[in-house]
Amino acid sequence: MTTWRYIKNDNVTASAGLAADEVLANCSGAGTSLPTLRLYTYQPCALVGRFQTIENELNLNYCVENKIPVNRRPTGGGAIIMGQDQLGVALVIPGKSDETYALVRERMAQFSQGIISGLATLGIEVEFRRKNDLEVNGKKIAGLGLHKTATSGLLFHASLLVDLDVPNMLNVLKTPFEKISDKEISTVSERTTTVRREIDTNLNNNEVRTIILNGYRNAFQVDIQKGDFTKSELEEIHQLEKNKYCDRDWIFQTTDVLDATGKDVVKTPGGMLDVQIVLAGKMIKSAYIGGDFFTSEHAIADLEQSLRWHSSNENSVSETLSKIYERWSEDLTNLPMDALIKAINSAIQKAAHTARKASADPYGCFVTPGGAHA
Amino acid sequence: MKKQYDFRTNRFYNSNHLWIKENDSGHVTVGMDELGLDSLGEMAYLTLPDVGTPVEMGKAMGTMEAAKMTGEIYAPVTGFVVEKNEAVLQNPLLVNEEPYDNGWLVKIEPTNWEDESAGMVTGNYLSAWIDAEIERFETQGILG
Repeated sequence: MTTWRYIKNDNVTASAGLAADEVLANCSGAGTSLPTLRLYTYQPCALVGRFQTIENELNLNYCVENKIPVNRRPTGGGAIIMGQDQLGVALVIPGKSDETYALVRERMAQFSQGIISGLATLGIEVEFRRKNDLEVNGKKIAGLGLHKTATSGLLFHASLLVDLDVPNMLNVLKTPFEKISDKEISTVSERTTTVRREIDTNLNNNEVRTIILNGYRNAFQVDIQKGDFTKSELEEIHQLEKNKYCDRDWIFQTTDVLDATGKDVVKTPGGMLDVQIVLAGKMIKSAYIGGDFFTSEHAIADLEQSLRWHSSNENSVSETLSKIYERWSEDLTNLPMDALIKAINSAIQKAAHTARKASADPYGCFVTPGGAHA
Repeated sequence: MKKQYDFRTNRFYNSNHLWIKENDSGHVTVGMDELGLDSLGEMAYLTLPDVGTPVEMGKAMGTMEAAKMTGEIYAPVTGFVVEKNEAVLQNPLLVNEEPYDNGWLVKIEPTNWEDESAGMVTGNYLSAWIDAEIERFETQGILG
């Protein structure tokens, strides 16, 4: 039987936690470390995805005022908060040299099985959503990421919501909401869930950790032995933390792909529809669908999720929305698909216009001469 | 029915599903092929080496994020970068939309083309290699 190492950590800093995952993945890829499952918690912090522009994703003033460290993950995806109620799951295994651009979607689904299997023992039915989320009845319970290192090591990362302080998250992350009131908090709460909410029991972190650990044992049929970092790994972690994850050039780097936001508000027979789209290049980075029409939050969450990291091509958007409407036909009767498609396309056009303007003016709202934090 | 993939016959391919096309200038243009992109999904972000940067076959020359996977882009040949595609840096989705045309990544002046191209697939071998790759992907559950 294959043996993996299990490392348990708590209260790690953002920079040390990220450095540890990367070193483990590098060493695993190089064959100098065992495949490792690391289940850990961070000191409260906010982490953006590999290529995100941090100023666009986080309320930096709020983070500074509240002493919340910010950092950048090697994995992709969106900004997240981490703390004692979000369990970090890092699985590192050696990859194969011939699968550089292959197996991505399937690897993500495969690596999630430990979490799915573990939570199933609590009676929580978790579904893997093709792009990057684990959901329970359409509500997000974990975000996933995958990174391949130069040594061909694979780092699968998940943040599992054991619990979530939604008001705090809305203060840390930039959101489409102009203000944060009970309504906004309720909207986000309806679109996410947590382990504790699903089982209505106050399981502590160690209990959840044991459940996930056993989930990986069951799903992969491997022998997972408790261990710790080796001395050489610790030295590498220390170096990488100092040289990369404590380096402002890494944390505050920017990208050539500009973010641009577009909004549209239309009146529909079911009520006002408010759509906000954030484009990264021609990719829809995020979508927000709100308004005063009556419908299921699950269906709206599904619509929004289906548009994340999606092409902004009109036909492609229509095709994707049609599938979601088939799935939620009864729940979406008050939100006509034609009106939604029209509003989304209008918001996309406005965002694209904003991006073109910003691109024509290199010192517009997206770019600060010399770098935002130089 | 099996999905069809477009592979242009006027270029070389490597195991990372990069295509390499010889230009009249002696430089080569590099891009990603349709099969690799189908598995990887839509490209969200890219970084590419600056003009003049030396690159080495098999070593990282850039980074990418597709959906939620991040990783390196490995140079398919050794040489020097003579041009990078600014259009794909600003709109990475172009790599998926026009992989063999406007979605190219970099142009490289190769310094060991004869030896390195011998390890790539082209010409008469292409058809059999594509079939084998699709079969490999399907067997490993990559496509579908």
